[in-house]
Amino acid sequence: MDTPQDLYQALGVPPAATPDDIRFAYRALARRLHPDVNQNPGAAAQFRDIAAAHNLLNDPVERQKYDMSRRRIGDNNYFSMRVTTGQRSLMALDEQQVFYLLVELMPERTRSLQQMDSRLNLTLVLDHSTSMRGQRLDRVKAAAHQIIEHLNPEDVFSVVSFSDAAEVIIKAAPLANKPEAKARIMIMQASGGTEIYQGLLAGVTENRRNASRRHVNHIILLTDGRTFADEPQTLELADKAAKEGISISAMGIGDEWNDSFLDEIASRTGGTSEYISSPLGVARFLNDRVRSLGQSYAERVTFSIAPDPDLKIESAFRLMPTPQPLSADADPIPLGTLQNGSAVSVLYQIQVAPQTTLGVRSLVRVEATGDVLREQRLGVKVIQDLSTEIKGGPINDEPPFPILDALNKLTLYRLQEKAESAITRGDHEEATRHLRQLETRLMAAGQPELAAAAGAEAQRVSNTRAFSGEGQKALKYGTRLLLASRILTGNLSEGKEKQP
Amino acid sequence: MKICPNCQTKNREGILFCDECGQPLKDTPSLATREFKRSDAPPQIKVENWGTARISDKSQIIIHVRDVAEPVVVPSSDRMVLGRLDLINGSKPDFDLTPFGAQDKGVSRVHAAFQRSDETLSLIDLGSVNGTHLNGQLLAPNQPRILRDGDEIRLGKLILNIYFM
Repeated sequence: MDTPQDLYQALGVPPAATPDDIRFAYRALARRLHPDVNQNPGAAAQFRDIAAAHNLLNDPVERQKYDMSRRRIGDNNYFSMRVTTGQRSLMALDEQQVFYLLVELMPERTRSLQQMDSRLNLTLVLDHSTSMRGQRLDRVKAAAHQIIEHLNPEDVFSVVSFSDAAEVIIKAAPLANKPEAKARIMIMQASGGTEIYQGLLAGVTENRRNASRRHVNHIILLTDGRTFADEPQTLELADKAAKEGISISAMGIGDEWNDSFLDEIASRTGGTSEYISSPLGVARFLNDRVRSLGQSYAERVTFSIAPDPDLKIESAFRLMPTPQPLSADADPIPLGTLQNGSAVSVLYQIQVAPQTTLGVRSLVRVEATGDVLREQRLGVKVIQDLSTEIKGGPINDEPPFPILDALNKLTLYRLQEKAESAITRGDHEEATRHLRQLETRLMAAGQPELAAAAGAEAQRVSNTRAFSGEGQKALKYGTRLLLASRILTGNLSEGKEKQP
Repeated sequence: MKICPNCQTKNREGILFCDECGQPLKDTPSLATREFKRSDAPPQIKVENWGTARISDKSQIIIHVRDVAEPVVVPSSDRMVLGRLDLINGSKPDFDLTPFGAQDKGVSRVHAAFQRSDETLSLIDLGSVNGTHLNGQLLAPNQPRILRDGDEIRLGKLILNIYFM
């Protein structure tokens, strides 16, 4: 059953609030979030919530009923959400400015101590096109075997293989006979082309059979090729899966696959996209993924940000559990799994219109939701409202370490992105310039190997006006991985990240 | 507007790394390169360079209760509960505010906590009756916020400032 939202929390008033307090709080929020004044994607849904909360609490009879049920439900602390801005106050300024917002969601500290395996509903969607022949397919089979070995009796598992058409190799069910399942995987043969839509459709169909909000519903798509013409269809399917509570991770082997397409599938569903440069890495990537799913504290985590009308989200980037670029226009943003003893965190860049009035003002309302698996509490929501002071003089606040550290690394990823988009536009001079800058910054960051790769690509782009597939992916996923290279967020519950 | 010292690009106020070339802009504190490397050893800390939001496990916290002459210096621990000592109910906070008139000012027995992690110090309201304010804003219970040197905290009606040392 869905855990009902705390209506008092939604309006930001204490449970003892008078009818006037409630009316006042509602009006203040409506002035910020009403669709007539606020076009931000997050504002509309959040406004509906506060309007519903106000309607109910405004009715004395309904409120009394609600208060009684609220007492029965009791303690609703499942998440600890920390919102942090880069600076304590903003400067009064007659031009646009920018601030950073870090949102971190963690298990509530007293609840995250017990470790328990979460129940998986896992589907592997494996590419067996001709290009997978040999070592690639062999490694994939070996990795699938390892996954089967580690599944718990109550986990639901299915496997789909695809090339031009898809075939269900293992039907979705708890695995009764592991050796038989392994044998079914062994007989996969490499042949045919790559049609990702066919494979993913069969995978979603299998996963859907057992998809429930008590499970970790996850699909891992593994491919080495490019799909043609069916990309829009595939993305639609991904959106549908996300709505049904299924997340999709996409892993590309080698250099032929379409990275922005796989990124998009993962971002839209709360999954992760990864680059596996050598077949030798397949087992590690797959096992890491499955292991992290097995330690889920909460699933289907989403963040929704409603900035005030004069603010606009420019970009969003997930830092944890795995670094992933996100769409700034999506709301709510699906973020996938919150692991026990870990965090889900997103860094936002937000633009502020010119500010002339001094004093305290509201900035953003932040909501996070998730299904807490072990406690069987679904749709748990936490809300924070953030305000700041507009000051006259220059602001010299140092950004908190987690923000500074993340930005420092994100800057590298963005440079790579800029080079790529310049090439797409046909501006190879700009691309070369960005790659040279990336080389410099990577050297300064103590990453000589990636710096050398950036230098080599700069040379190549200025000569041939194109990236090498290998270099482009190495840079993209290499700079992205830097964001995971240190514990970035404050893990309040444990102090240190647990190694699985 | 900030001009990048490296490529002269104009960046909007608030941007910390140049949009064009990635150069840290003026006033952006630099991070040592070693922090990129995965390491079990904590990064080396240069206390004198620290700015407003950083705190190490060696740092101390200075708590200055308003209208009290002497500030109190406490070592920063991983978690420190602020409240009122009450032996009858068995409440024993790590930092007892009773000497500062906590009872009259509406401080709960278990009011709020400081938590330290990854070089930051967070303030968390622990479901107090009269609420916790940070720089004038009421905090939602159990939802941490990062503290900065000089922040003003209000527990019920008890106002205190916090400094890092």
